[in-house]
This record gives sequence, structure tokens and C-alpha cells, in this order.
Amino acid sequence: MHNLSTVIRFEIVRTLKKKSYWIMALGFPVMMVAIFAIIYFSNQSTNQAAEELQHQSFSIEVTDETHLIKPSILDALKAKTITDKQQGIKDVASGKVDSYIYYPSDISKHPVEVYGQDVGIFNNSRYDAVASMVLKESIQNSVDVNVRSVISNQASTNVTTYRDGEEYDPVKQMILPGLFLVLFYMLIAFSANQMLTSTIEEKENRVIEMILTTIEARTLVIGKIVSQVALSLFQGCIIVLPALAGYLLFHDKLNLPFIDLTALPVDIPRILTGALVFVVSFLFFTGVLVLIGSSVPTAKEASQFLGVVMIAIFGPLYAVTLFISAPDAPLVRFLSLFPFTAPIPLLLRNAVGNLHPWELAVALPILVVSAAVVLMLAVRVFRYGALEYSRKVSLREIFGRR
Amino acid sequence: MENIITIKDFKMRFGTTEVIHGLTFSVKRGETFGFLGSNGSGKTTTIRALLGIYQPTGGELLLDGKPYSVSGGVKLGYLPEERGLYKKESVIDAMVYFGELKGMSRDEAKEASLAYLSRVNLSDKANTRLDKLSGGQQQKIQLGITIMDNPELLILDEPTKGFDPVNRKLLMDIIEEHQAKGATVVMVTHQMDEVERLCDHIILLKDGVSHAYGTVDEVKKKFNKKSLDEVFLQVYGNENEETK
Repeated sequence: MHNLSTVIRFEIVRTLKKKSYWIMALGFPVMMVAIFAIIYFSNQSTNQAAEELQHQSFSIEVTDETHLIKPSILDALKAKTITDKQQGIKDVASGKVDSYIYYPSDISKHPVEVYGQDVGIFNNSRYDAVASMVLKESIQNSVDVNVRSVISNQASTNVTTYRDGEEYDPVKQMILPGLFLVLFYMLIAFSANQMLTSTIEEKENRVIEMILTTIEARTLVIGKIVSQVALSLFQGCIIVLPALAGYLLFHDKLNLPFIDLTALPVDIPRILTGALVFVVSFLFFTGVLVLIGSSVPTAKEASQFLGVVMIAIFGPLYAVTLFISAPDAPLVRFLSLFPFTAPIPLLLRNAVGNLHPWELAVALPILVVSAAVVLMLAVRVFRYGALEYSRKVSLREIFGRR
Repeated sequence: MENIITIKDFKMRFGTTEVIHGLTFSVKRGETFGFLGSNGSGKTTTIRALLGIYQPTGGELLLDGKPYSVSGGVKLGYLPEERGLYKKESVIDAMVYFGELKGMSRDEAKEASLAYLSRVNLSDKANTRLDKLSGGQQQKIQLGITIMDNPELLILDEPTKGFDPVNRKLLMDIIEEHQAKGATVVMVTHQMDEVERLCDHIILLKDGVSHAYGTVDEVKKKFNKKSLDEVFLQVYGNENEETK
């Protein structure tokens, strides 16, 4: 126990001293803040520019073959009505007027033609805006308000669903169990490389003999796993907490929908299932990573195997719609039971609520047994394969040893 | 005197090749033992099997009457042939880490580390990263880690490898100090003068087989030679010709 805490502290401290950890930990939130800041300021300046645009006045000539345009609107804009389209185009080309708008007789088949003096890529949109505004303003009073909201896509719907006689919102229901999916994704994405490097470090530094005669391989491996989990959770907090604070403070300015976090439904069985699948899946994959780290001589070789593991873990994300729409499909069943691909389908389907109890009853023991086997194998390979500095270790050799 | 190391009929096979063929010897508590042999004769393999790094194919390798385990029994200081440390750590952090793993408190480990660094004139390097030290300085740090908790059994695999004469002298002084404190020392080395000066018993290994085992005088007498250098040349001298 004393050695386990020593290993955990040593691993955590030395990782926190690495620049690469902080670049990874801070790089993502800094990038997100930068992106949101760009979006926010871009939105603000666009709105400001659009507002300024509305107050700009420019000379307009109009030809209306639709007979929909109200003269009062054209008068308000001080627009001049002409009948000759070619004349209007010529007036713009010669600089006599700033713009010319041609409304063809059948606007369902032909576009409204707008001609104008170039005033820059952004300001040129004022001509188009005025042409649309004149048309909309002219017809809006001639149709019913409901019809107007339908044709302008402003009619909204509000869906309420029930399950077992009670109101049930599947989106809100999936948020808490779904957090384990996000957590799993985050931990694997952040810690996979660190875990691999950490395992292979003793071998690359040729320190393995001194270590193995001082501490049990199992203690060292467990210490590494625990420290990497702690570091990944810390890394996750660095990302999630500022994001959460940013959402709560600025969701309206960023046009994000508001979700009252205190009113989220708490489905205890699904949350516990998510937690259980998460823990076992994470143990399974850390075992796989330690196994890879112990079997190959260098971090470079290990990263090649890591790629394959990552494809297996995250590959099922490409079938997300299938997991939601066809949970009984044979492919979904297979991916949910095969230990290398199971975590994402199991966590996602549990969050969505279409994971059958019998599937969980089969998948979970498979994952538990796989995790136990892989962790034991990882410790054994670390123990007996760690002295192979220049070549990969075969399973035959490992099991060949008494 | 009781045996601290007992090796009986030790056999080791890698794949289809048997590299150690029924090796038997013992080391008594408190003595200094020389483990001699040319490169590839099986010395390091024997040490690794004794310390549980390799699983033996056959035989018994015991420390204080039982197979070595890090959690109990003999307090061991092992300097492996394969040199290495956590290169990106500072000298003091690496030493304190190993000290703690050996069961010392953090303060004890720090105190022992600083005392050792002062002794080997590396006090100013305490906070330097290990990869910024010369090879010889790194060797000294590794030796410091090996002896920092005053082990009762010191196993030193080629301890003078890479040391200049000054540092070799320093190392020998340190070994003698531990001898004086009653530690058992097992030296794997090619330095015959040091073996003659320090060792009580020796074993000569060739191709995984013991060619001589006894006190230094007994071995010299067996080969009718005046020095161990001459013995070594007689036993291993024709190896190069054999391999041609």
C-alpha cells in the first residue's frame, strides 16, 4: 500500500511537470474559448454592420412586373419606378443610380434581378436585403397571420411524450447516463497516449530491472493506471468546468438553448448501469494499453498498435444512428457484445434507453472477464516482457515461462 | 555461517537453447563473493533468475532459504548490468522515489540521498535532470540508489563498468564500507585485481557451467596459477580462437 501511494504520487507529479500534458490539457479549452470568442465577436459586428446598413440610403430604380409591390413602400425608399429593364441596368452601369431591382412577372420561376454599384463584399448585400424586404413588406398585409408564419417557417411545435403513464422527455433522460459516454470518450482520448508512454518509460529508460527488484509489477501497473485516471479526470475538469461556467454565463449571448440542470430527471438504474459499464470498459482498455506498452520495445512501435485500438473503440461512433434507430439489428448486437467495440454502443444505448436487460446481463460479464484477463496478462507481460529492449514479445514466450 | 544465497541445479533455457546447465553454489552471509565469467557465460542470467526477473527452467534459487520477493525477506541492493534511470527526473527526485520504494520515509530518503551526493561530489547536481549528467555521474547516482538503505545483500553486476580509476577507487571504498558493516556483497566483474583484494569466495562460469568454485587461493591452486588473471586467461583465453 505504501509503495502504491508512492508510485501514484511519483507518476502524477512527473506527468504534471511535463509540458506536453499542459499543452494537451489547456490547448483544447483555450481553442474552444478562442472559437467562441470569434463567433461571438463576429456575430456582434455582423449585427452592428447590418444595423448600420439599414440606415444607409442609396438611390434605387425598380421595375415591377409582379404587380405585388406597394407604391407606398417604394415612396418611403424614394425609389423611382421605371418600365425598361435595360435602361435600369444601363443606369447602374453608368453610375447614374446606385441600384436597380427587377421583379419578373413570375417570381416562382424566375429570380428577382438586383444590380448595384460595388460597395464591398459585405455591403453589397444591402441591395439583396432591400429587394427581399420590399417584396415581403408588400405582401405581408395581404395574407392571414397564420399563413404568414407557416410560409416564413415561424410556426413551432412542442412535443410532450409519456411512458408508463408519466411525462417522459427522452432527451433530458439521456443527459445524466450519457455523461458516462462523454467521460469514457474523454478519458480514453486524453489518457491513451499518456498511459502507453508511462508504461513504456521504464523500458526505454532501462530502469526496469531496478524497479522489478524493488516493487511488485502488479503494484507498479495499478499505480500507473490509478495515476493516469486521476490525471485524465483532472484534465477533464480543466475542460468541463470552464465550459460549464461559460455555458451558464453566456448561453444567451452564444444563442445556445438553456437547459435547467437542476430539473434533469435522475434515472438511478440507468445511471448505475452507465457507471458500471464505464468503469469496466475503462479498466479493459487501460489493461490493453499496458499490454501494448509492455509488449513492444519503443513508444513509436506502441503508437502503431494504439491506432488499431482507437479504431476499435471509436469506430462504433460511425454507427450512432443505427444504435438509436435499429437496436435489435445483428450488427448492433455484435458490436455491443464484442469487448473491443462494446463500450460506446453499451454506454450510448443505455443513455438512449434501448439497451435490453438481457443484453446488459450478457455484455457486462464478458467485459468484466475480458478486463480481468487483459489486466492479468498485462501485468505478466510487464513482468516478463519488460526486459526485451529491442524486440516485441510473443504471447507464446510469455505463457511459455513457468 | 549460514547461506544467504543458495542455488541448486539451476537450469535456464531460452527457446530451444539451454544457457545454464545445472549450476550449484552458495554464498555465505557476510562474505564477499566474486561471480566471474566471460561475456555470455550466464552470470547476468543467473542473477536475474535469482531475483525473480527470469523464471528458471529448473532448479532452486533461494535468498535466505526462499525465492526472492520484493515484499519480504532480504533487504537487497541491486545494481544491474543494464544501466538506466528515469532520465527526465531530477537526481534528487529519482533517488527519493527509489528510497521510498525501498521502504524509507520521504525525509529519510532525502537525507540519505543528499549525504550520498555530498560524498561523491555531486551535491550541486541534486536538482539537475539525470539526462544532463555524464554517463559516469549517472552511474554514481545508480550506485547511490543501490546502497542508500544500507542493504544486507549487495549484488553488483559489473559495478566498475564505465568508471574512471578515481571513481573506481571510490566505488571500492564504498563496497569495503558495506563489507565492514556486515553486508554480503556479490560482485559480477572482470576486474581480477579487485576480486583478489575483496572476495572471499569466487565462482568461474563458462557456457553456463561452473569451472571453479572456492576461495581465491583454492581456485588459483586448482589451476596452478599465481594470479586470477592467469586463471581467467587459461579458462577463457581460447574462446576467441574457438569462435573463429
